[in-house]
Amino acid sequence: MMKYLFKNTDYFMKEAKIILSTNLLSNLTSLFSMTLIFLFLAMVVAGWWVSSHIIEAIQDEAEINVFYPETLTATEISALLEEIEVIDGVREARLIHAEEAYERMEEVLGKEAQVLTYFTENPFSPFIEVNIQLEDLDGVLADLAQLDKINYVRDNREVLEDLRHLAGIMQFLGYLVVVAVGIATLIIIAHLIKLGIDHNREHIKTLILLGAPDSFIAVPYLLVGLLLSAGGGVLAAILSIFALKYIYALTAGPLPFIPLPPLGNITVNLFLFVIILSALLGLGGSIFGFSTAKVK
Amino acid sequence: MIEAKNVTLQYPDGTVALREINLSVKMREIVFITGPSGSGKTSLLKLLMGMEFPTGGTLKVLGRTLHKNEMDKIRWLRTLMGPVFQDFRLVKGRTALENVMLGLRFLDLPLEEMKSRAQEALFKVGLQHKANAPVENLSWGEGQRVSIARAVARKPAIILADEPTGNLDKENAQNILELLAASSRDSNASVIITTHATHLIDETKGRIIRLQKGAMERADE
Repeated sequence: MMKYLFKNTDYFMKEAKIILSTNLLSNLTSLFSMTLIFLFLAMVVAGWWVSSHIIEAIQDEAEINVFYPETLTATEISALLEEIEVIDGVREARLIHAEEAYERMEEVLGKEAQVLTYFTENPFSPFIEVNIQLEDLDGVLADLAQLDKINYVRDNREVLEDLRHLAGIMQFLGYLVVVAVGIATLIIIAHLIKLGIDHNREHIKTLILLGAPDSFIAVPYLLVGLLLSAGGGVLAAILSIFALKYIYALTAGPLPFIPLPPLGNITVNLFLFVIILSALLGLGGSIFGFSTAKVK
Repeated sequence: MIEAKNVTLQYPDGTVALREINLSVKMREIVFITGPSGSGKTSLLKLLMGMEFPTGGTLKVLGRTLHKNEMDKIRWLRTLMGPVFQDFRLVKGRTALENVMLGLRFLDLPLEEMKSRAQEALFKVGLQHKANAPVENLSWGEGQRVSIARAVARKPAIILADEPTGNLDKENAQNILELLAASSRDSNASVIITTHATHLIDETKGRIIRLQKGAMERADE
């Protein structure tokens, strides 16, 4: 089979070109539709990947803040730090002085930091910043509750849970869109292939009467499906890169603290993902269309 | 090459197209099937090509019994045949050369041999100068010759020609019959030709089978 595939490349390409040009308007419309579908897919998948990256980044930097009575001496604070550091799930414990807490808030507030000048005294208390493994959060909190000399513990559990929930939604949406796009592409391509077969019914019948195997008859139609779907995929991938660059530019200014993944990585991965998926769906749709068309 | 024993073909609507056909065709034999319209000539060719299947009797082509549930075998047998269709079945939008090559594309031939065989076949039918002409620009007679070129280029074991002399003048019709006879000699092919032109048959060496209302009326050795 491979032998006649290679030696007949010229024939297959010409036949595919003829099939495409025969229903040119319909095929162009389908290419446009396919581009939009894959662009939608690319944007949802990009959202999924970015949110997952953000969650991972936040999880890696998961912290809880331990506040202690300000009456503790330096020796007692050191002892408390040592006790916290040995708890399972704690990566690092570090004392944050009131001055450092003030400076941090200044950085976060940026231009708005002038509101801090209205305070005659530093409004922030010193605390112990505990970097933990997020999956051990419950255990760490339980162990901290056993310790004396702790006023209270502030964790970001709710924020983290919200983010995790959001990532879950994006992931679900991602899967849902991949499935929906897959089905839509299969249907569109299969329909186009059937139209092409209908249009070339006599040609196909002649090939059958001459003894051509199904695989030989199918190749030009598979090529057409592949070209339309992968063509839509390539266009969508290019558009999605422009869209991502624009979104990154919009986000980087006002929200600099969001740990976005590197643009280069995400565009390359997205480009490959959309093109490979579109090519596979194109081939699948063509095979489905050809096998369900009544060509015998 | 071909063995038909009591072959009957009845269509689902009850029409009996062929009844009790007994026929044996040897290698390099030329057989003319004649008879009026509706006598079953084309139905017999359809049976031989595996487009229809006997509803009674047995039909063997190249030693294989034809069954409709053995399409792979039929497909293989078709690659050993050179069909010349009454309506030519040329593919529009393609050149004469491309149409002749179409019959060779899925045979086990190198590309160069495909091209040379197709060019040679067009030369034999006198259309080498029209090799690159789209088939829709050819005359009726030229189209028919391209169809014959497509069949003979395959160097088939059996050539099946359905009314290849139809609508041709005597000289061109004789040329076509001579061409098919030459192909039989060149590639040891059996040739089965359906035709109305009984006045041309005497001038070539071949057996005549006359069909009447689906039954064999006469078989000259």
